[in-house]
Amino acid sequence: MTDSSRCSRRFASVLLAVLAVSFPLQALAQRNVFNMPQYMETIRVNSFKVGTTKTHDKYLSQSPYMGTSFGFEYDGWTGYEPYKLFSQGRNHSDLCFSVMKNPRSGGRTMILSSREYAGFMWHALKYSKYDLLAGPAAMCEFGFLYNQQNSNNPFNIEGYIGGGICVDNTLRFRDFGYDMAFQATLYVPLAGLSFAPDYDEPYYYFYRYGDYGKNIHFISPFNNVAFTQQVALILPIKESRLRVGFTIDGIRNYLGGQLHMVVNSMFTVGFATRFQSKKWDR
Amino acid sequence: MKRRRLNMILAMAVLLTALLPVSCALNGEVPDREFPDTPQGNFMALWTIMDEHYCFFDLKKEKLGVDWNEVKTRYAANISDDMSDRALFEVLCKMIGELRDGHVNLTSAYDYGRNWSWKTDYPANFSKDLQNKYLGNDYIYGGNGYYYRILEDNIGYLVIESFEHSMSAGRMNVMLNNMALCNGLIIDIRDNGGGIVVASESLASRFTEKKVTVGYACYKNGPGHNDFSKMYKTELSPAEYDLRWIKPVVVLTNRSSFSSANEFAYFMKPLENVTLMGDTTGGGGGYPMSSELPNGWVVRFSSAPTFDADQNHVEFGVAPHIRLDMKDEDVQAGVDTYIESARAFINDKLVNF
Repeated sequence: MTDSSRCSRRFASVLLAVLAVSFPLQALAQRNVFNMPQYMETIRVNSFKVGTTKTHDKYLSQSPYMGTSFGFEYDGWTGYEPYKLFSQGRNHSDLCFSVMKNPRSGGRTMILSSREYAGFMWHALKYSKYDLLAGPAAMCEFGFLYNQQNSNNPFNIEGYIGGGICVDNTLRFRDFGYDMAFQATLYVPLAGLSFAPDYDEPYYYFYRYGDYGKNIHFISPFNNVAFTQQVALILPIKESRLRVGFTIDGIRNYLGGQLHMVVNSMFTVGFATRFQSKKWDR
Repeated sequence: MKRRRLNMILAMAVLLTALLPVSCALNGEVPDREFPDTPQGNFMALWTIMDEHYCFFDLKKEKLGVDWNEVKTRYAANISDDMSDRALFEVLCKMIGELRDGHVNLTSAYDYGRNWSWKTDYPANFSKDLQNKYLGNDYIYGGNGYYYRILEDNIGYLVIESFEHSMSAGRMNVMLNNMALCNGLIIDIRDNGGGIVVASESLASRFTEKKVTVGYACYKNGPGHNDFSKMYKTELSPAEYDLRWIKPVVVLTNRSSFSSANEFAYFMKPLENVTLMGDTTGGGGGYPMSSELPNGWVVRFSSAPTFDADQNHVEFGVAPHIRLDMKDEDVQAGVDTYIESARAFINDKLVNF
């Protein structure tokens, strides 16, 4: 090997190393339509979503509201070290804005909501065409509701922080001459803390008098029914993977003595991309 | 191999179907709380919303003899499913009007349902023309609804038409600075229908040098007529980094001083250098909230009662220290009895200082 070729190889190695630590390198090819990510791999899906929202927040109004919603959601699958119990990670984040109208009064309710879930998954079933992941998940949900009709106390805040379970299925199959995958994911909070106004407590009173202790509630599926469910189909489009799906997430409780319910039903469309992380090996 | 595939499909099917009941439960309604969009349904919805959320039933029973169950029986007789929307609106407005609460209203395209007898049954004790005469043309604009000037006998005169907007801290500083050499200040909140509670509190904080307990508050924490939270002490703290006024202050009130103006009156009443003059305020001591009927009409109601420093309800108003009535001969002579009495009071204090 000549000096110049040795120098070139060294330069190339350094360049690659710099690139590797600067940002994750995208794998050159998708091995399969939706194989679970291996160690140091991540599959990311960024989707736009549009659909409908129904809310019935009796703190703000005795009437239910329905309307359209749109937003953005991110889903991620990460391969952890394979010998560990939780060898896969599962993430979900979304941001959703809903505008609803009461056709009788013309009044509007708007909701800005966001969910952050992080699951640590056990590879429960592992077949060539099917993967079942299950495990605990840390969950956080937040929503800001504004009701145009309630002039003196127009907004409400809903949300919880806690833990629950996440179940994720992937079924790979071939049809119409194409490799495709069907996915279903479910998040259910099992325990946590939630905020709710105490019946008719005005928000001004929070500001004026404090005393927030009574507004924090311990939640379980017995007093707070909530879930996020996704079903999606992954379709190959040349080298890309299109993910079309349907997400329904809902929450219903009587915390603080009044019914609070929000259900989003949304169609999603996005692309799945597989990334490979490179560790800087010193 | 076939068995494996079957297991996979089974697992997916179980997961998907297991959620169906949950979805149904979330989308379902609570049967005992839904009212149909019929005259009967809207009537019952309004009666129930008020029954579970209105905060002054016991007080109204004691002072006005209003029995909400009896009201239901009486008005239900006027409801039939073939009545027109307009007729229904009139009956419902009359029903909530029994409570004689300015914070209880029904809003629809037909009208703004109200019972303002808390002010219309009493003398106005106010003339806008006379007020304008005292303000003159060279008054200073202190913000939306705030106007002031210095009267000939070196007494500041501040008119607050409404508390719907706050007077900014900067403008308050300028106003108090402009009046620094005055012998006293008259704050005229007659015909002030209220607004935001923060506005009245921020102004009141300029007139105390120490933290004062000015009242109490609680809120409905359940559907029962007596389901209330604990009492919260309302303390007025002095505006720390802004100008404060320690000279005599007279607050002029009448029956149309309502809601936030009512609150301003009971915030100011316990302060050492403040004297309330005029008529009892119009009340409106319940913090209002709103809801909707099945037909979309919006109902507003008082849900959180407030109390003065002695824990008395202020729903029926705040009594002044000095009771006044406008004299007809004064009005005819172009003199405002209230303002002249306040000027005399401050000048008298100055002489006897």
